[in-house]
Amino acid sequence: MHGRLKVRTTEEERERKKKEQALKVKAYRAAMVKIQEKRLSHELDGEMLLLTSQILLRNPDVSTLWNIRRECAEQIVLKTEDLEEQQAIFETELNFSEQCLLVNPKSYNCWHHRCWILEHSPKPNWEREVQLCTKYLKMDERNFHTWDYRRYVVEKANIPKQSELDFCTEKIKVNFSNYSSWHHRSLLLPLLYPYEGEAQPKRAMSEEKLQNELEMVLTAAFTDPNDSSAWFYQRWLLGYSRQELDVCAFRCNNKHAMLAFTNPLILDAKDVAITNSEGTVIIKLTNWHSINKTKADNVWFFSLTDNAISYKEFPKEAFLEINRSDISLKKIILKTYKESLFYFKSPNQQHAFSKNVLNELQSQLESCESLLEYEPDSKWTLLTSALLMHAIDAQKYHNKSLENLEKLQKVDALRENYYKDLASRWILEKFLLNWMDSDAVPYELDLRSENLNALYYSQYLCIADKLLLPNNLTNYSSMKQLQGFSIFEY
Amino acid sequence: MDFTTFAKPSTVDTNNDKSNSDLHFWKHVEYIENHGKDQDDFEYCMTEFLRMSGIYWGVTALDIMNQLDRLDRKSIIDFIRRCQCPVTGGFAPCEGHDPHMLYTLSAIQILCIYDALNEIDCEAVVRYVSGLQQFDGSFFGDKWGEVDTRFSFCAVAILTLLGRMEGTINVERAVKFVMSCCNQTDGGFGSKPGAESHAGLIYCCVGFLSLTQSLHLLDIDKLGWWLCERQLTSGGLNGRPEKLPDVCYSWWVLSSLTIMGRLHWISADKLKEFILSCQDNETGGFADRTGNLPDIFHTLFGIGALSLLGFEGLKPINPTLCMPQYVIDRLGIKPQILPKP
Repeated sequence: MHGRLKVRTTEEERERKKKEQALKVKAYRAAMVKIQEKRLSHELDGEMLLLTSQILLRNPDVSTLWNIRRECAEQIVLKTEDLEEQQAIFETELNFSEQCLLVNPKSYNCWHHRCWILEHSPKPNWEREVQLCTKYLKMDERNFHTWDYRRYVVEKANIPKQSELDFCTEKIKVNFSNYSSWHHRSLLLPLLYPYEGEAQPKRAMSEEKLQNELEMVLTAAFTDPNDSSAWFYQRWLLGYSRQELDVCAFRCNNKHAMLAFTNPLILDAKDVAITNSEGTVIIKLTNWHSINKTKADNVWFFSLTDNAISYKEFPKEAFLEINRSDISLKKIILKTYKESLFYFKSPNQQHAFSKNVLNELQSQLESCESLLEYEPDSKWTLLTSALLMHAIDAQKYHNKSLENLEKLQKVDALRENYYKDLASRWILEKFLLNWMDSDAVPYELDLRSENLNALYYSQYLCIADKLLLPNNLTNYSSMKQLQGFSIFEY
Repeated sequence: MDFTTFAKPSTVDTNNDKSNSDLHFWKHVEYIENHGKDQDDFEYCMTEFLRMSGIYWGVTALDIMNQLDRLDRKSIIDFIRRCQCPVTGGFAPCEGHDPHMLYTLSAIQILCIYDALNEIDCEAVVRYVSGLQQFDGSFFGDKWGEVDTRFSFCAVAILTLLGRMEGTINVERAVKFVMSCCNQTDGGFGSKPGAESHAGLIYCCVGFLSLTQSLHLLDIDKLGWWLCERQLTSGGLNGRPEKLPDVCYSWWVLSSLTIMGRLHWISADKLKEFILSCQDNETGGFADRTGNLPDIFHTLFGIGALSLLGFEGLKPINPTLCMPQYVIDRLGIKPQILPKP
């Protein structure tokens, strides 16, 4: 029961309502008994349609009654081969379900009944259904049932994607605050304007189109900066997906090997080997264990003790070969540290946007900054300007973007911990980027002076011999991947 | 005559504001216990099409409040037995109605709470559920062919509770279908591929992935952000951007965040305040929003969310299956839950 206000009524009013409801209950029960009797004796006739319609018009959620109406339709199809006659029952059902939708436009049963009717109808008119959706979306532009149904009938009616995109644009122009429309748009653009560049994770769409969309969405967002719909879309355009599946760290000595991935995966025995420059397999690493003993994991461990190999046997130029369809980089050159081989790639390294997009982002950042002068506590502007800075040049704007996140902890206190975690993530990204090129890799990782509230990217740290955590994070030290590479025992 | 003269939303009732900072524990127990005692009650009668779920909501809420013995175990189990369809093996919401995946899950959940799975033909249930899986991995809700991620959740929840996930359905395809409903914009899920993200369906899909030990497929930070943005200044949670808060979303959003290890991304105190403000301190029970009429559905999700937030005096609830944790432990089930970063 949703959205029904509790109202105080007089005794008299209550009594009157009670009597009225008692009559309704009686009528409902009588109709249900009659319907069940008729169903048992296979009387799937006009009277059945009438009886079920009386209840469904008041309460379209009684799914059994819709089932019975479909049985009626099936019966007629069985009885007659005349397509016109068949079509008539389907038309009746379409009209009836539309009547019910007027009573409750959010009835799962009702929308599904329409799908079933059209799928079984000899002459479905899909274009008419698209128009029906347009009409219903005028009444409620956020009804997700209507949007779902629209996507289904648009496909059936072979409506070009471009014209659906135009429909979206119209809807958004009428009302910017329409997350449903932005969502529909987000499905069409990657298909109409696919991204073909190198950036990982892939951009949402071609950079040319991306620039147009960025312009459009910021206009929308600035029209009402407190409305979240457009800001979500903006963040998607800027790109905030998790990293694509990839190897992020590897280390191997004559005792064991540790292999870390950007995201958890299920590692297969035949996936990994160490090869030389000619591509000859030196060691097949077949017996991997999830370090946390889970089905999928982002750190995998391999013990060489059974078929021990001495360091001398590692080739001068060694490669890690990964043979999986879901990982793009198949052959990774390994570095040497003392008597071990290793590889490390810091997380979320940025791939610069094209010049045009960058200019657009820069001008958006300026707009945000000037808006913040008037409304310094505007949550969405603060967050978006931090995200813009991060997208333009995370290194250059590092401190400034963190200042915004700190301010957000106060102006949007409900989500204080979200901003703290996001800041921790950015801090660690920067730290690991520097670590990658430092002398300390892979020997020592000293995070003690970093202002971290959470430990993201813990899998990246598995190759370090010595790991120094900040005081507030020492409770993480029991994590398997943080035991230190050289002393790790499975 | 203007009948709104009599309208007086309880939000402006000053008595309410003060007393609603506490949980009206016994009022809620009474509310649930009395639900359905008057068989001729209009609301009760008009909701018979979901009776099985109604019973599950009441049974679970009472068990979480440690008052399960207030309901008559035997008559409930007898009712459930009468609702199992002898032909398909699925459960109807009540006698005279057709079986459906939704009510089959509710029936199995109640039986698990009562430790009474032996009372029904479980093999027939397994056949019913696995028979509804489609080639693409999705599930029909019943033989009439509606496809929805809710039914994917129901299917794996039923099979998990019965201990029959292995070898009955194609789990790999089931996972693939659910992931095809994941949206790139916000990391959330809708009812079918391309459908807009919605907190209720996100719960179903996150719960599904938790039961199939596949949470690694989620973009946790993206989805977690969208979910924590559901919290509004009132402390309540909504189901989609720019919508009103609703107590049932306290459950859908909160359980998803819990499973994903991101419960700390919202303000628990503010949410508690909101949930408590939705109690009806006269009749007991929770409404969707402050000042509205209570019902049994929102009562479970109010109580359930308070339990997830560690409210004193309530038994712990399992975020994936929305059942008392001790029942899940008794069955030896371990739905996947992710740690905090």
